[in-house]
Amino acid sequence: MSVTRVLVANRGEIAVRVIKACQSLGIETVAAVSDADRESMAAQIANRAVCIGPPRSTDSYLKVENLIAAAQGTGCDALHPGYGFLSERAALAQACVDNNITFIGPSAENITQMGDKLEARKIARSAGVPLVPGSDHARNPGEAGELAEQIGYPLLLKASAGGGGRGIKLVSNAREIEDTFRTAAAEARAAFGNDTLYMEKYVGNARHIEVQILGDQHGNVIHVGERDCSLQRRHQKIVEEAPAYAVPPEVRTKICEAAASLARRIGYRSAGTIEFIYDNDTADFYFLEMNTRIQVEHPVTEMITGVDLVGQQLHIARGEPLPFKQSDIRFAGHAIECRINAESPQHGFRPCPGRITEWNAPHGDGIRLDTHCYAGYFVPPYYDSLLAKLIVHAATRSAAADRIYAALDNFHVSGIDTLIPFLKTVIADPEYRSGAVNTQWLEKKLEAYSAQAG
Amino acid sequence: MELSEDDVLHILKLIDESKFDYFQLEVGELKITVSKGDPIPIAGATQPAPVSVSPSPAPAPKAAAAAPAPSVKPAVIPEGMLSITAPLLGTFYIAPEPGAPPFVKVGQQITEDTTVGLIEVMKVFNSVRAVVKGTIVEVVAQNGQFVEFGQALYIVKP
Repeated sequence: MSVTRVLVANRGEIAVRVIKACQSLGIETVAAVSDADRESMAAQIANRAVCIGPPRSTDSYLKVENLIAAAQGTGCDALHPGYGFLSERAALAQACVDNNITFIGPSAENITQMGDKLEARKIARSAGVPLVPGSDHARNPGEAGELAEQIGYPLLLKASAGGGGRGIKLVSNAREIEDTFRTAAAEARAAFGNDTLYMEKYVGNARHIEVQILGDQHGNVIHVGERDCSLQRRHQKIVEEAPAYAVPPEVRTKICEAAASLARRIGYRSAGTIEFIYDNDTADFYFLEMNTRIQVEHPVTEMITGVDLVGQQLHIARGEPLPFKQSDIRFAGHAIECRINAESPQHGFRPCPGRITEWNAPHGDGIRLDTHCYAGYFVPPYYDSLLAKLIVHAATRSAAADRIYAALDNFHVSGIDTLIPFLKTVIADPEYRSGAVNTQWLEKKLEAYSAQAG
Repeated sequence: MELSEDDVLHILKLIDESKFDYFQLEVGELKITVSKGDPIPIAGATQPAPVSVSPSPAPAPKAAAAAPAPSVKPAVIPEGMLSITAPLLGTFYIAPEPGAPPFVKVGQQITEDTTVGLIEVMKVFNSVRAVVKGTIVEVVAQNGQFVEFGQALYIVKP
């Protein structure tokens, strides 16, 4: 498979990240940009930019045919989908195959298998990966009620076609189950065009642990360690770390091996992430879902392993075997990432697009910034609010926390509001420092912060 | 006064439906800037980065050594003239089929609804309407050329 000129079918910081990875391998890039992104950093640093449509992403970044035509029209032999947008749509991967364009990612078949959350559960079960106690079939409210008695309350009703925190309903007790089932089915039908639901026991005191996977086209699959992404707001990760400091080493090993065996089972190629719920009280872990793309928080893994994950995606797409074995992957120190979003923490975290008048980013040992922003850049209102990812690396978690606090303190942005002030209070929090957090911790901090700010 | 997310969406909708291309609202510390079409140029820059592509046909995928035609040559629209731009990206065709006379010629009068070309995206042909009224003075894009969204195809004298 040749990869000599890559169409970067995404925007923002990940487009910049992909272009830089290509540049370091001597691969040419064409940035596919919407009309709103003509002056973006990706458009400036790529060998060429091509305008694929109007600002609205449904008319540009989400149009398979536009991306294929852009790749063909600019002589690209490969396409990188980034994350979000069409990265996990089998239709794009398949259209690339049909048009002799190398898709830098997994096969369309793997995307389809893992995109259906019920199918993914079946594969996980067959690979011997623990699943949250629950049921794969809840066909009607009555059946759901019966199954719920066996699973126990509270529990979650999940849409088979959901994922990434979407299509999930919490059921606290038997009185709610039938009504919630009907609502969840109707919402799933409206949102995903598929009202299939399944049930999972609700883990209250949980951590979000995920494992980075790399697979090549020769059947080699390894894991590149795990990450703790428990600090979330509305299922969106805000702070991510590697390694998963709070999980005992022997359990971490088991989680990583389970993830690798699942990926091996489906012959996965490229970079992927397998997500787990970890029960803080029992030290049990359960398969949640697999993301068949590069993940926003991939840099924390890169920082502690020295593996260039996007670079490896390119090597894998070219058909090269992985240059390392599992035993070659070494982990050093601790890394923390903070997502710098254009959101106003003092105003209920509402998005805050607009012109950046000052962009004074921190530099120094162990500090990395992945961004597409600069002073004078206009943050368009059409897309997600991620401005930058601030990543630090240090010998210990405590030293990494000190370092990212100092970096946040030295990060000056004007013209728009950002999460920086809120992130500082998070990193300085004694509970965060001690590691006594779970997936609900950030929401509680946020309420307290908003009450104080308001 | 506070603006809610709904308020902002409502404003965006109003602008979208209006004839205005550029809109700026300041309420206290809150600033909203909305622009349709071309992004608002940043201080000093009068043209957004990749306005137009080189008219030379894109190199074939195999030609790895060739640079991917980055030469930014903005289509210069003379003062007082209008342009007909590509409503989507794809392969531009000047005539309904090979060998047929072109949809329009230099000197021809056109109205907003005149079909001036076809753009093919993955085997689907989309007709291009003039959207402006006047006389064709120049055909900028070539038959069979790959065109980007917003690229000038014709220059029209109103």
